[in-house]
Amino acid sequence: MTPALLCLALPLVGGLLLVLLRPPGGRWTIAIALASLLAAALALQQVLEQGSQLLQLGGWPAGLAIRFRLTPLAALLLLFGALLQLLVALYAARSRHAIGGEDFWPLSCLLQAALAALWLSADLFNLYVTLELLGLTAVALVALAGPRAYPPALDYLLLSLAGSLAYLLGVAVLYGRYGLLDIALLGAQAEADAATRLALVLMSLGLMLKAALWPLHLWLPPAHAGAPAAVSALLSALVVKGPLYILWLLWREVAPVELGRQAGPLLAASGLAALLAGGWSALRSPWLKTLVAYSTVAQLGYGLLALGLLLHWGEPRLDAALWLFVFAHGLAKLSMFLAAGELQHGFGSRRVKALAGAGQSLPLALFAFAVAGASLIGLPPSGGFLAKWLLLQPLLEEPQRWPWVLGVLLATLLSAAYVFRVVARGFDRQRSRRPARPQDRLAQGLALLPALLVWALAPFAEPLLHWLDGAGR
Amino acid sequence: MNGGSLLPLAVVLSSLLPGLVIFALHEEQHRLRIALNLAGAVIKLLLVGAMLVGVAFGLEFRFSLPLLPGAPLLLHADALSLLFVALSSVLWLATTVYAIGYLEGSPLRSRFFGFFSLCVSATVGLALAGNLVSFLLFYELLTLATFPLVVHRGTSGSLRAGRVYLAYTLGGGVLLLAGVALLHGLAGSPSFQAGGYLGGQLAQHGTLLRVAFVLLIGGLGVKAALIPLHGWLPRAMVAPAPVSALLHAVAVVKAGAFGIVRVVYDVFGAETLIRLDLMQPLLWLAAATILYGSLRALQQQELKKRLAYSTISQVSYITLGVALLGPLAAVGGLVHLVHQGLMKVTLFYCAGNFTETLGVHRVQEMDGIGRRMPLTMTAFSIGALGMIGVPPIAGFVSKWYLGLGALEVGQDWVLLVLLGSALLNAAYFLPLLWRGWFAAPADWRHGRWAEERFETHWMLLLPTLFTALLSLLVGLLAGTAISPLGWSRLIVDREFAL
Repeated sequence: MTPALLCLALPLVGGLLLVLLRPPGGRWTIAIALASLLAAALALQQVLEQGSQLLQLGGWPAGLAIRFRLTPLAALLLLFGALLQLLVALYAARSRHAIGGEDFWPLSCLLQAALAALWLSADLFNLYVTLELLGLTAVALVALAGPRAYPPALDYLLLSLAGSLAYLLGVAVLYGRYGLLDIALLGAQAEADAATRLALVLMSLGLMLKAALWPLHLWLPPAHAGAPAAVSALLSALVVKGPLYILWLLWREVAPVELGRQAGPLLAASGLAALLAGGWSALRSPWLKTLVAYSTVAQLGYGLLALGLLLHWGEPRLDAALWLFVFAHGLAKLSMFLAAGELQHGFGSRRVKALAGAGQSLPLALFAFAVAGASLIGLPPSGGFLAKWLLLQPLLEEPQRWPWVLGVLLATLLSAAYVFRVVARGFDRQRSRRPARPQDRLAQGLALLPALLVWALAPFAEPLLHWLDGAGR
Repeated sequence: MNGGSLLPLAVVLSSLLPGLVIFALHEEQHRLRIALNLAGAVIKLLLVGAMLVGVAFGLEFRFSLPLLPGAPLLLHADALSLLFVALSSVLWLATTVYAIGYLEGSPLRSRFFGFFSLCVSATVGLALAGNLVSFLLFYELLTLATFPLVVHRGTSGSLRAGRVYLAYTLGGGVLLLAGVALLHGLAGSPSFQAGGYLGGQLAQHGTLLRVAFVLLIGGLGVKAALIPLHGWLPRAMVAPAPVSALLHAVAVVKAGAFGIVRVVYDVFGAETLIRLDLMQPLLWLAAATILYGSLRALQQQELKKRLAYSTISQVSYITLGVALLGPLAAVGGLVHLVHQGLMKVTLFYCAGNFTETLGVHRVQEMDGIGRRMPLTMTAFSIGALGMIGVPPIAGFVSKWYLGLGALEVGQDWVLLVLLGSALLNAAYFLPLLWRGWFAAPADWRHGRWAEERFETHWMLLLPTLFTALLSLLVGLLAGTAISPLGWSRLIVDREFAL
């Protein structure tokens, strides 16, 4: 068994065993995440040495077997996913209030397995299956928060099913037209005809709904804000990136280039709208976790913007920007949700207003929020800055692209406004209240850890960019 | 990598590391905190001294780390960076002593001194930054590190000031980012070099260069408080006195002015800027800021606000000197970077002493204060006379060179601006001196340090006298090679390759 398949098998088998045996505590989940992290590192090393490879399961001939494909990007995403799972598990093991119940542990393993399968899948139907698995586990995780989270969880479930259905319809149309599901083969044969267009529209809409890309994002804030903190972190940092990855595959590897050129401006405009509208909603939200959730809606806009412009101009440099955004946002958002969880738990209130004096009473948690926020704003030398820098470079080259730059800079200011809205509240000493519960420094430190990692990305920027260089076709 | 290349890094770390440790300290660990603070400040001074000697003899110190493709994080000590580093290091030591006295017994001191150290680290890093990307990095870090200091008191007034501060500085940061990224696309991010590195782009990308210059000056102008980007500075005076000293003299405002110097001399270069026709507007802007700041200072009845508007005016002398693009004016502008810092820090210390000892906030309350606090009032007088430009105090030297420089490049009208500003300075400072020394004493509330053995807490008094003495000495000894003036001449010799 190759290391890449281990990344899938470990959490899958582990998660199923956890469901059956129900050992108390999070030790096993941490162990599984750690083992998958090592396996993912090996897989990355392997793919860098030997290049992309096809993995066939079960000895079936091509065409029947479940086909997986390990590319450098998939290996990086495996590594990224395992790292994030590990960081969340470490925090969750310490902070029981953030998980909503013991069911968190097996479910988070299954979530990791679904994502690993998604990164590795090489055909469109496989991807559909992983999408469904991902959606169902995510809904179950949201519901852990108790009865108050049931309505948003139900909305999430229904919309997620609708999204999958649209995606499946698109797959069916493509299969009817070409008789193929394999991404590479489809990419070689796809033509810009009506059936392909229809399929691409259906699939894109479905995926945009699942990834909460503007204007199909309305389900996300209640679901992410209503979930337990550790779950919110996983959902925002990882789960929405799954459908985004499929969307990227679809347009980069399946869709004919000319269709991409036509669809690019639409996707990019939707991304920019996400940045501005999401940022504005975050600024207006009275609830802390809703603010963070809207910030996810906004930040996903960067990915979509990069994808749209990439397709429109055929600018392969934007691939690296897109994936750096995904990595940087994942780490920063993890910290932000965990910190928000700590703050909310400490003060016993979900309001932003309640945070007055947090700089005194829960300094580490507020610091984590600020450090993560600074990366979301894109202050140097954080990971968010690297991504923004890579995005801006091709945009600045030609003056007719400058309106997009203006949009990105406005979005930067909006993100600064909503981050500092929270941070400044923490410095308010006049209206400060004592926290309802004593502070847990270790838990706050664990919430800070991912944010420190995103600031430490800078020295690794060059190898990371080198690996991402071959991400597109 | 030899020892010399680590020196610039060590200078940054000498305040960064103590700062990080201080964050982790408990509130009650006074002695350890003070020891860390002072040890860091002294070590930094020694390191800077070593680099000064090295650079004077023509050595170069550079340290680099990979950061972005084509743009490493580069720390590089040249004569210009050391001018600013030396100023910040000396004033940091003085302000640390002052802040220890000022904050004695108040809460949240670990947080305060932690951010205080970060702030100075960012300033020194920014001074040593060897390319635009590194400069941008430290410029933004400086914004982040100063915000908690501005809102330190946690009152609704200081939070409002903090919000305004952030809105201005982050807005400026975005402009700077756009400018730096644009230039990176055109010419990469090579090290700063005398005469600039954009001359080759002139023929092809003239318009883009103009846009980039406007973006950069817009971004830097926020911190340098050029009108109309100055609004944050007077509002930020609600911060504690050591923070005001930091904002006005040691770090923030200076960072903006220093950035303008860098961009003009080492990114674009005087020749390129002349051919781009960009310096005249900057010159007008600087002149307008000088007069506007002085006029507004005249209207202020609150002492710290008056000083704040005075900073807006005085810092633009630096920009003015740079924008004249002649060697003599450049000497005047550069030396004013140091001189303004010394005099303004003295004035802010004095204002803090008055407030902490006698509860004086407003100008009228200064009546007769010279009898009660003669030493502080003497220091205040030195600073104020220096600002007006009375010889032999530091400010006179700057103005002398600025005036000569303006004549040298044929911009005679600048002399009128200088003269007008000197008159306005006299109009808002001399009444303070008259009140302090000659008016009948006002009825003071008693502040915290009214019962001290000296006229106020010795840790407040000592830095005040020290910087006042320095303001006097750098003026008296301006002719020697080791004075800021001598060093500024060295910089100009190297920049203009005279």
